[in-house]
Amino acid sequence: MRGRRDSKMISAIWDNLKGLYSLLVGMWVTGRYFFQPTKTVHYPRQTVDPEDLAAYRGPLELTRGKDDESKTRCISCQMCAKGCPGNCITIVKGKEGKSPSTWLYDYTLCCLCGACVEVCPTAAIDFSHRLYLVSVTREELVLDLLADLQKRVAAGPLKPKALPEAAADKPAAAPRAQDAGGPEPAAGKGEG
Amino acid sequence: MEISGISILSLVTIIVACLLVIALMVVNALVMVYVERKGSGFIQRRPGPYEVGPWGTIQAACDAMKLLAKELFVPANVDFFLYFLAPVLAFLPVLALFIPIPFGPFLTTLKVPDGVVLILAFAGFGLLANLLAGYASNNKYGILGAGRAVSQGVAYEIPMILALLAVVFQTGSMNLSEIVEAQGSAPWRWNFLCQPIAFFIYLVTLVAETNRAPFDLPEGESELTAGFHTEYSGMGFALFFLAEYANMLLVSFVCATFFLGGYKGPILDGFWWTFIKAYAVMWFIVWIRWTFPRVRFDQLLNINWKWLLPLSILNLWITAVVIKIV
Repeated sequence: MRGRRDSKMISAIWDNLKGLYSLLVGMWVTGRYFFQPTKTVHYPRQTVDPEDLAAYRGPLELTRGKDDESKTRCISCQMCAKGCPGNCITIVKGKEGKSPSTWLYDYTLCCLCGACVEVCPTAAIDFSHRLYLVSVTREELVLDLLADLQKRVAAGPLKPKALPEAAADKPAAAPRAQDAGGPEPAAGKGEG
Repeated sequence: MEISGISILSLVTIIVACLLVIALMVVNALVMVYVERKGSGFIQRRPGPYEVGPWGTIQAACDAMKLLAKELFVPANVDFFLYFLAPVLAFLPVLALFIPIPFGPFLTTLKVPDGVVLILAFAGFGLLANLLAGYASNNKYGILGAGRAVSQGVAYEIPMILALLAVVFQTGSMNLSEIVEAQGSAPWRWNFLCQPIAFFIYLVTLVAETNRAPFDLPEGESELTAGFHTEYSGMGFALFFLAEYANMLLVSFVCATFFLGGYKGPILDGFWWTFIKAYAVMWFIVWIRWTFPRVRFDQLLNINWKWLLPLSILNLWITAVVIKIV
């Protein structure tokens, strides 16, 4: 009994010494961090490196068609519009075929939950990497994603590494990093 | 000429020194706010303030101006007298605390024979100010913060006194100037090498006594919004803030005096060594604030009563025995 209590005391002292050592390790870590370059960017003067945006989930955008890159894959099934908790998606089916004639996306209502992306049977929508979306009116944030897709198509075919322009990203602007990391395999490019 | 035992000259010296100490406190607060924010920034891999002035150097001055211009908001049902007494009581004793500190061989306000007692006695006033602030401001967070401040401050004062007492035993004097004189110029003749346990205990308790992270429970932001000074705005808050940094400065100077050789250095003794050492300790306080998370309150008291107190008594006992033998 006596011996057990002694060993308990010794282990308590030993644990505390180890704890002290861990404090020193922590100070060594922060002391090193102090001298390392900063990880953040001075926003208005610098912008984030597009490569670091690969995992960023920004507002929605339409992906490009499998066969015809200029067309959307959307089949107007309304699954996304019904699944959306904020009712931010409005799709009107076109006169011919299944493709939509209107595809409106109200970004002010969107909570970026991703229910629409998950539910889409044709993988027609995906998150963009648009980081600098800014507006002074609500109306500007109701995005016409079909027009956005056409603008991206007009800007050029999918490139393996399309460089997004960083600042001043207006709604529906030129090529973005999304085009590089989209669901398309790079080999499956059409005439664009 | 003398007035009740105090010569006019030393009275003038004290007044001049108090003015200088007020200037030092304000400048120190401005510098330390900047150092603290830049330091936390670099430790967290971000730039810290960089917009106001070159590298953000004017940021602290701008914050001070903002505090000066702010409305003094007094909540309903406060104890008016105590509410306004508390920040003054936090700020004023610090002036007395700097009197026995030997900044340099000649730059000492008064070579008080019992300087240690003076410092430890007046340091208790800061605690009283925290208690009154929380008690008078009619706020549950305030009263909780005040309770924590008192139990923490009273607990950590004991090992702190015992750690300093070990050095006093060794030197045989309570005069801070004599404690510095007893240490040599070379770094290996400073007290932190022959009193490593006392030095360690003092380093821990000084963080707790100044209510700084990881022992900042009296003002733990996540639980108590701001603890005892929740209801203070404008200059009331600024005085608490100033007193906190002045207390940091004081414990750093005491640390430099007791353990790091005071104004003595490898080359050219002088007040610059005191300041270099004190600010090294200040940087240590900032460094650990941005490294360690806040302890829980039972952990805080366990560290004190179960570890620091027995350790400091043991250290004092060993010191006494060694002094008797040698």
